[in-house]
Amino acid sequence: MYNFLQIRLSAFLLDVNTVGSYIPVALQVLIVVGLIGFLLWATHMLGPKRKTSDKLEVFSSGIGSHGEARQPMAIKYFLVAILFVLFDVEVIFFYPYAVNIKGLGWHGFYAVLMFVGFFLCGFIYILKKGALKWED
Amino acid sequence: MNALLISAVMGVLMMFSSFMLKSKSAVRNVALAGMFLILVANILDTYGWHLFNIPTEGMMHFDRFSLFFNSIAFACTFIFFLLSARDMEKVGINYAEYFSLIFFILCGIVLVASFQSLLILFLGIEIISIPLYILTGSDKRNLKSNEASLKYFLLGSFSTGIMLMGITLLYGHAGSFDITVLIKAGEKPSSLAIAGLLMLLFAMAFKVSAAPFHFWTPDVYDGAPTVFTSFMATIVKAAAFIGFMRLFSTAFYSLHDQWQMVIAIITALTLLIGNITAVFQQSIKRMLAYSSISQAGFMMLALFALNGTATEGLFLYVAAYSLATIGVFAVLIKMKDYTFEGFNGFARHHPFLAAVNTVFLLSLAGIPLTAGFLAKFYMLKAAVEAGGFLWLVIFAVLMAAVSVYYYFRVIQAMYFKEGDAPVSMEVSRPFQWVLGVLAFLIILLGVFPNALLYWFYF
Repeated sequence: MYNFLQIRLSAFLLDVNTVGSYIPVALQVLIVVGLIGFLLWATHMLGPKRKTSDKLEVFSSGIGSHGEARQPMAIKYFLVAILFVLFDVEVIFFYPYAVNIKGLGWHGFYAVLMFVGFFLCGFIYILKKGALKWED
Repeated sequence: MNALLISAVMGVLMMFSSFMLKSKSAVRNVALAGMFLILVANILDTYGWHLFNIPTEGMMHFDRFSLFFNSIAFACTFIFFLLSARDMEKVGINYAEYFSLIFFILCGIVLVASFQSLLILFLGIEIISIPLYILTGSDKRNLKSNEASLKYFLLGSFSTGIMLMGITLLYGHAGSFDITVLIKAGEKPSSLAIAGLLMLLFAMAFKVSAAPFHFWTPDVYDGAPTVFTSFMATIVKAAAFIGFMRLFSTAFYSLHDQWQMVIAIITALTLLIGNITAVFQQSIKRMLAYSSISQAGFMMLALFALNGTATEGLFLYVAAYSLATIGVFAVLIKMKDYTFEGFNGFARHHPFLAAVNTVFLLSLAGIPLTAGFLAKFYMLKAAVEAGGFLWLVIFAVLMAAVSVYYYFRVIQAMYFKEGDAPVSMEVSRPFQWVLGVLAFLIILLGVFPNALLYWFYF
């Protein structure tokens, strides 16, 4: 502890290879969190509050609500997840291509075109098979 | 190369035909025509007629070894389609997709048979395995089928993980995926290389269901729909063996002395466990699963010996085993009862089917004048030529004698027991013709093995 107090603060901060160089970041985080917390607290305390039943009612465009908004709807999560993974992977394959687009030239372009073509076949297949028809 | 591209396109085509073609017979005819096209294209490829010219140096190498095996595998698949395509209708509603998955598996088979880079081997093994997981579970309402699929998926992925680890370690050793430069001759291999070799050995032994990595085989073969068991147990297993052989005869040939003992132990264990357990089975389907393990034990002898006779013998063995097993399964699919009792009195009601089934079973048991005998003979000859391990040869002969017991139990049930052998579906005339041709082929190969092996060289 004694050594820590003896330390020359400017040198400690300027040396990029120590933990000390993160002190500005820590300060920043503290200030950000503190400021946000303070602002939230202040608006909550200082703002006016009028709670009437009319005000708390759900409405849109001045029309009263009908029924329940939370209708059960079958989102086929499994299917969505699988399809998402497939098309996500397709996009991921574009990244290395995008980096090397010049180097790979027309040859690479045809290869990617073929890849997308095969993918399109799969897409047409799942459409025709009714994978995206959600209403039974 | 021809076959690879055409089978990939055929897979997509079959996918489309599932919603474009209304009748099932149209789907079947497209699949048969496509299969024939692939076979012809591959034979053209063998004799220098390339439809496409795509550079594959360092990744794949299409030599006679791979092209010849491809021809055998495609011919067997074609016969399998002729015999059993009609029975696939009963598995489920996705008829065209089953064909599509089989065509994708054929893609994987081409990759596994002709890889030069370990990456392609991995890719091929995965392309074979993933459609197989689906086909295993395609009988969705059957709990056993679901269980088999899940079990196969979990164990298969695990073994693929081990294979990847092995490939990684070998890359760490050599800095290359190319199997021709993986281990230099005369060099003392690093411990990385040895560990990688062992991991690849275990993973491949899993794929060909050699003991002690065989535990998935009986459950998966038993649970899968019988038509797909037939495909899985023959053509796919043969392809895995060819990949195994290619890997170890190219990449690890210089270390042959070091891993020969491991292979010898695996071979002996596979023969022992496969044959002894098959004796106790009540269901013929399960018995055939164990028999496929024991036949894998014989094919492991080729890997053990790794000489010219072994290569020839492996081709002959693959052809003999695949043809005979496809035939036995084609007959089995028609039966209502899969136990030995189900075959009681079969010969009286269906004399022709019983006769050809006998030929298939004799071939599997390795009785002279059938292809199975000469295939086993080649394997034993190769093992004797390799020298030093006479106990293994004697043990293999003893185990072949054990196998006679359970194959002959079926023949005994068919001919010497009273019963009515209930058949679940009618047996068409073309089906009988194809079975007859199959039996003829098996006897032909048993008398003139060069009718097949000639084409390996010319």
